[in-house]
Amino acid sequence: MDKEYILKKWLAGELTDEELATFKKSEDFELNAKIIEGAKKFKASQFSTVRSYDEFKNGLKNKKSPLIRLNSYKTALRIAALFVISLGIYFAFLASNVTTVQTVASQKTTFELPDASSVVLNANSTAKYNKKKWADKREISLDGEAFFKVAKGATFDVITTNGTISVLGTQFNVKNRADYFQVTCFEGIVSVKSHREYFQLTQGKTIRIIDGTVVTDTIGYKKPRWIDNKSSFKSVPLYEVLNEFERQYNVTITTQNIDTKRLFTGGFVHDNIDQALTTITVPFDLTFKKENLTNITLYSSE
Amino acid sequence: MPKKIKHTVCDEKVFSSIYKQYAKDLHDYLYYKFGSQMDINDKVQDAFMKLWDNCKDIVPEKARAFLFTVGKNMMLNRFKHQKVILKFQEIRPKDYTNETPEFLLEEEQFYQKYQKALNSLNEEQRVAFLLNKVEGKRHKEIAEILNITSRVVEYRIYSAFKIIKEQVKGFK
Repeated sequence: MDKEYILKKWLAGELTDEELATFKKSEDFELNAKIIEGAKKFKASQFSTVRSYDEFKNGLKNKKSPLIRLNSYKTALRIAALFVISLGIYFAFLASNVTTVQTVASQKTTFELPDASSVVLNANSTAKYNKKKWADKREISLDGEAFFKVAKGATFDVITTNGTISVLGTQFNVKNRADYFQVTCFEGIVSVKSHREYFQLTQGKTIRIIDGTVVTDTIGYKKPRWIDNKSSFKSVPLYEVLNEFERQYNVTITTQNIDTKRLFTGGFVHDNIDQALTTITVPFDLTFKKENLTNITLYSSE
Repeated sequence: MPKKIKHTVCDEKVFSSIYKQYAKDLHDYLYYKFGSQMDINDKVQDAFMKLWDNCKDIVPEKARAFLFTVGKNMMLNRFKHQKVILKFQEIRPKDYTNETPEFLLEEEQFYQKYQKALNSLNEEQRVAFLLNKVEGKRHKEIAEILNITSRVVEYRIYSAFKIIKEQVKGFK
């Protein structure tokens, strides 16, 4: 069996007793074990312990917080742009006056904002905005993926955990998933502020940040493929392709012996699972097995 | 008919139980993410204070997500340029049965390389690896804390391990 596969299973604590006995006899087992054991020397609580609840309570009474209190929304707005992102997140958590639109796996939805801008939300996504404040400030938080058609007007901000996207009337797509952040401009100009850098996208340009790496590219189509129920990828890690597959079909995919960091170029349809499975497995010479209605396993052919 | 009592985070019983449940986890998460040079305790304090300030708008089930997002964001902009350093426990002669100076020196060197390796990991790898191997957290729990899937957690732990191994090998 593949050495890397066994290593992965050992790290996950999933080896059988027999496999473990064999693994312990391997040449570099001593080093492997030393690395795991050695990690404990870095344990946080040896150097810094969190305050007890009582200490916290005392701190609450005494603290003259230098931080801006967000009780006043207006005060926060005067602060530099850095805080816009944090503000958006807090704002997203405030239950009052916030309209939430949410989709689950294999669901898409379209909704309109108070100024007639429209948003198409992809599967497993959440958008939140304040209806009452919309006339003063167009600000919407997004977790997941959405395509925006923005009516001309004052700035329009989309706030995600990976960055803030600002536009004036235009059409653009934002994809914000764990480890994967991509903004595509279909019309107009979009500015993207991701906590490290600042980018501007014109029509047809896309920017992608995966695990810290920034890739810019040009796209030929006029709107996102997923709106037409197809997913399309260009040099995207396979694990993200599988994540999107799970979102669209509401299934769970397990892989065996596959390097899911490999870059995938291709796509799949959203309405025919067998065809979709074929198009994602063939390029890397993989095979699939449907365990039941909701679980699929992918295997390497080697 | 018994009156239905709604527990919000403003209820001190609820708030204190949330504190006791998540304060250490949040502290450790920030520590592994940003290193031992930062004053993590202050940030944990601030995150809980914000939770308290907004207590009437947050339901208990969302408290964890709020705390971790707030904690992470507080540090993101201000400290992004600073180097991440994680301290390791001193190598003490009485911890070992074999006490030759050469051995102790080798151990010290091993951990220095280990420290360097941890600092070179991207923070997502480092956090997943340490939460799992040092704090004993399951993949599922780490996935919830980081808002990612278990598969991604598993992958990050594996990547971290490989990078560490590459940098420390040469020591037995």
